[in-house]
Amino acid sequence: MLAIDYGANGEVVIAGRLDAAQCPAAQTFLDRVQGPVTLDCTRLEYISSAGLGVLLKTQKRLMAGKGGLRLAGVNRHLQDIFQYSGFDQIFEIEPAE
Amino acid sequence: MSARDLEPLLAVAAKLAAPFDLRTMLVEVVAAAKTVLKADRGTVWLYDAAADELVLEIATDIEPLRLPGGSGLVGSCARNRQIINVTDCYADSRFDPGMDRRSGYRTRCMLTLPLVDHNNVLVGVMQVLNKADGVFGAEDEALATVLAAQCAIALQRVRMTEALLEGQKMRQQLEMAREVQMGTLPASMPSLPGYDVYGTFEPADLTGGDTFDLELLDQGLLVVLGDATGHGIAPALSITQMHAMLRMAFRMGADLETAFTHVNNQLADTLPPDRFITAFIGLLDPTTHRLRFHSGGQGPIVHFASSTGACTNHKPTSFPLAAMPLTALRPPVSLEIRPGDILALVSDGIFEHRNAAGEEFGEARVHQLVRANCDKSMAELSAELLKAVRTFAAGAPQEDDMTVVLVKREVWPVAADWTFSRTFDAIPEIAQFTADVFESHQIDPSLLQSVDLVLEELFTNMVKYGKGNAPVRITLRKAPGGLQGTVTDFGVEPFDVTGAPEVDTGLPLQQREAGGLGLHLVRKLVDTIEYEYLKESRQSRVTFSITVREKNDARD
Repeated sequence: MLAIDYGANGEVVIAGRLDAAQCPAAQTFLDRVQGPVTLDCTRLEYISSAGLGVLLKTQKRLMAGKGGLRLAGVNRHLQDIFQYSGFDQIFEIEPAE
Repeated sequence: MSARDLEPLLAVAAKLAAPFDLRTMLVEVVAAAKTVLKADRGTVWLYDAAADELVLEIATDIEPLRLPGGSGLVGSCARNRQIINVTDCYADSRFDPGMDRRSGYRTRCMLTLPLVDHNNVLVGVMQVLNKADGVFGAEDEALATVLAAQCAIALQRVRMTEALLEGQKMRQQLEMAREVQMGTLPASMPSLPGYDVYGTFEPADLTGGDTFDLELLDQGLLVVLGDATGHGIAPALSITQMHAMLRMAFRMGADLETAFTHVNNQLADTLPPDRFITAFIGLLDPTTHRLRFHSGGQGPIVHFASSTGACTNHKPTSFPLAAMPLTALRPPVSLEIRPGDILALVSDGIFEHRNAAGEEFGEARVHQLVRANCDKSMAELSAELLKAVRTFAAGAPQEDDMTVVLVKREVWPVAADWTFSRTFDAIPEIAQFTADVFESHQIDPSLLQSVDLVLEELFTNMVKYGKGNAPVRITLRKAPGGLQGTVTDFGVEPFDVTGAPEVDTGLPLQQREAGGLGLHLVRKLVDTIEYEYLKESRQSRVTFSITVREKNDARD
């Protein structure tokens, strides 16, 4: 399951599994977000290529504007995924403690 | 030299060509010398080159007389290779009357001459005593020289023949020892359901007394590795005794402790005090999968645990067999053999095998080889072990027998299998299925997220591009260190996902596309991936395997 919403400090909090089934809902939410903005990933457990596609589409739109997504609190497994896909080159990524 | 003088020489020549043994030949030579030179007595000293001594065989049960080279008349004749003719012994300071005194004979005159064969090798020294009618003169010296040459050749020939026969006898003894030793080994590997059992043996040139046994008895699988001290026929006979005693004890219903104690004590009685046998004796119960063992000085006993991937060494439980009688024996060691576990028994000939630098093969290398080959057959692991030792030795000689006994409890291939509707909404269900399989089959949890991702990507690919209606099947199978998965689509055309083009992850943001990322990630995460299309059933099947890696190992 996936939960995506604004947090207390204007960041976007995403929690749960961003798989192919949850992507449409995530895309709908992110399409309305203005950048630059932090995406709090501390409780993001899982992401597949569908989820990466959502992030990529969002980033392209935001970077053409005022600024893109900063991914914060990214766990070890997700760091690997971002690295394999080259997303560490196109996103600002802050690992979890 | 007259024709008359030649006659006896010619007669003697025939004798000297005969195939006598050394003792007889010596007698013939002395007889020939006496005849040809008309002497009353003769002696032949044989030259022992290794000791630089001249040896006189007196009689069969008396120690031969030994003279150091160079000492006395005989000795100096040997050194200088010159005839020494003493016409009046008691007037000559070189003569030693000692022998006369001992024997009661009176030596008047004496001719001492060297026996040198045609290769100029000194064979010995011949002496003739007391010419019949006078003293030995110049003609006698000439005659004696000719005779000496012939005698030297004859004696040398006979000595070499005897050495050859000795060598053959030695080889025969070693072959016999080898046959005796081989007779204790099992004729074939026992077949035990759920277990892969293997033993092998590579003898050293000089048979070293190793043995092993693997046999299914009423009491369970008997596992033995033995190593008798010494080389040659004696240890081969010792292990034959041990083998027979053990079999007899178990046949009579003895348990492990009783058999071990009695065999030890019986061998302590029968074997010579300096002989003992290091021996591992174990019984594996194939229903409880417990191995109980005693080891008399044989070790280390290696237990590879599949769940941790680590090797543990167990120590012997007692002193070597036959060293002394056992009055109290501590309880046997009891090991649980879990699926994938391996018991490896390896003899000293492997642990202590040296290379040219004098370094020993050692325990660490054995552990490493067991770990590296743990999912191969035990026959293959054994071959890898022996190959590694030979490579390590790099030509240094094998000084001791090398014996390997391996017992592995097989891993049953555990598979879990389910089908899922062709919709993205099935993805959470797939995740739940995977999590349950990981839990029930005890698969390493660090692989879960990667496996989830691989399954989702392969599944969504089939849903998007496969035009079938049937549910997609996912099969997960535990494998050493990880798992193997298969995703199958039915009633479709072939679509080889593994042939998808590479993604360029270095492109700038605005040029990046999401397409192909899924399979790109799959390739990064798995160890192997294969595509198969079955035409008759129109099945499209992707199989992948994934294992836990060390943190700093790259996957591609």
